[in-house]
Amino acid sequence: MIRRRPFTSLFLLLLLALLGWVWHERVNLQAFPDIIAAYTAKEYCSCRYVANNPAAYCLGYVKQYLPTSAFNDNPLRSEVTASGLGRTHTARWLGERQGCRLNP
Amino acid sequence: MVKGLLCAVLLLITINGHAETWPDQEWAKGTPLTGPALEALDAYAFAPRDDATRQGIRTDALLVIRDGKVIYERYAAPTSASTPHLTWSVSKSLMACVLGVAYGDNRFKLSDPVARFYPPMKQHPTVTMADLLHWASGLDWQEDYEFAPLKSSVVAMLYTRGRADMAEFAANSDTFSAPGRAFRYSSGDSNLLSAALKGMLGHKAYMSYPWDALFTPLGIRNATWETDADETFVASSYAYLTARDLARVGLLMARDGRWKDQQLLPRDWVAFNRQAFGNYKAGQDEATPGGHWWLNQGTPRPWPDAPADTFAALGHWGQALYVMPEQRLVIVRYGDDRDGSYRHNELLKRVLAAVQP
Repeated sequence: MIRRRPFTSLFLLLLLALLGWVWHERVNLQAFPDIIAAYTAKEYCSCRYVANNPAAYCLGYVKQYLPTSAFNDNPLRSEVTASGLGRTHTARWLGERQGCRLNP
Repeated sequence: MVKGLLCAVLLLITINGHAETWPDQEWAKGTPLTGPALEALDAYAFAPRDDATRQGIRTDALLVIRDGKVIYERYAAPTSASTPHLTWSVSKSLMACVLGVAYGDNRFKLSDPVARFYPPMKQHPTVTMADLLHWASGLDWQEDYEFAPLKSSVVAMLYTRGRADMAEFAANSDTFSAPGRAFRYSSGDSNLLSAALKGMLGHKAYMSYPWDALFTPLGIRNATWETDADETFVASSYAYLTARDLARVGLLMARDGRWKDQQLLPRDWVAFNRQAFGNYKAGQDEATPGGHWWLNQGTPRPWPDAPADTFAALGHWGQALYVMPEQRLVIVRYGDDRDGSYRHNELLKRVLAAVQP
């Protein structure tokens, strides 16, 4: 089999290795898409409502190499929502001492 | 003769006591720095800023205190003197100060097992408070931020799997070494300290403790310390202070834990903070770890142009509080460095050149 179909064999072997890796990292891989939305919502909230920086500055400050698909800052509720990689997260300013926190 | 000597000593102490300057509502102003060495400092710290590429040294704030007086202060907009700036991992050393007050109240001993105050650590029953303070819990932690986001324990703790209860997330780590044997920088260790403090104090007292124990006595009025959903302070990352307020913590440390007439942190606590962790191997990190502070010790010294007694609280993207007790200097540097071009040694060298009389 290996001699007759060297490329197919190699491909299957690599696929098996990849699947093994995906299984091994399943917990991390499942959480990974949450990072960009959670990071953007939390750090923008703190930049804007804890450090009191201007909105335009905070948008630049939280920019990462992964794009966000939606973003909303609700100043009335001091609440920031960001979406990216199919996940959405919201952070809210709780008060002077406790600053911002991601909603559960 | 003896009486005379005693009088002389007393007089000296009195004179020194009066000569010592402490910030009140505001910091006193000293003679501002001038001259070519100051220009060299400005040129390094405040190089023209490129907000498109975000490359290079991007200082948000630089504040130099000598003898308790401001001798240099500069900000880059929008950061100003009234901005409570994110300190990132400087928070870890702030938690060490808060713990120092609890230590002075005999709330714990360095040799106490963490599990005594924080039951989830029963999984690791021999890890002590000192081990956590040395970042030597032996817990298998991956501290990388941007470069390995998939495997990063910090990113998972702050933003995904750990964010509801960061200390528990850290406590659930595997181990890679026996406690106290090996240094591995870990934000998890710092948040375990925060959870242990909560266990000592109870939830209600804990929620105001950083203010009651540290910030209010120092005259710090605008501090924010964010918590996770379990209301544990994120000691690894999320304290916010103005540069002027962070400098108050620096002055406290420069003067051996004393604030005016009050020994706020026991002297042996500060000595522990400033003693290098014995099992640290040179080159494992950018400076030598002490008790949740960074030291300019070892061969070669991490910052060869700064005195050996220099120690610092350091954070992501260039946040720093440097303390030089012998030089009577406290330096706060806030930044937004997105690459690795900023050098502690270069900044300290230029500050030292600029403050020479």
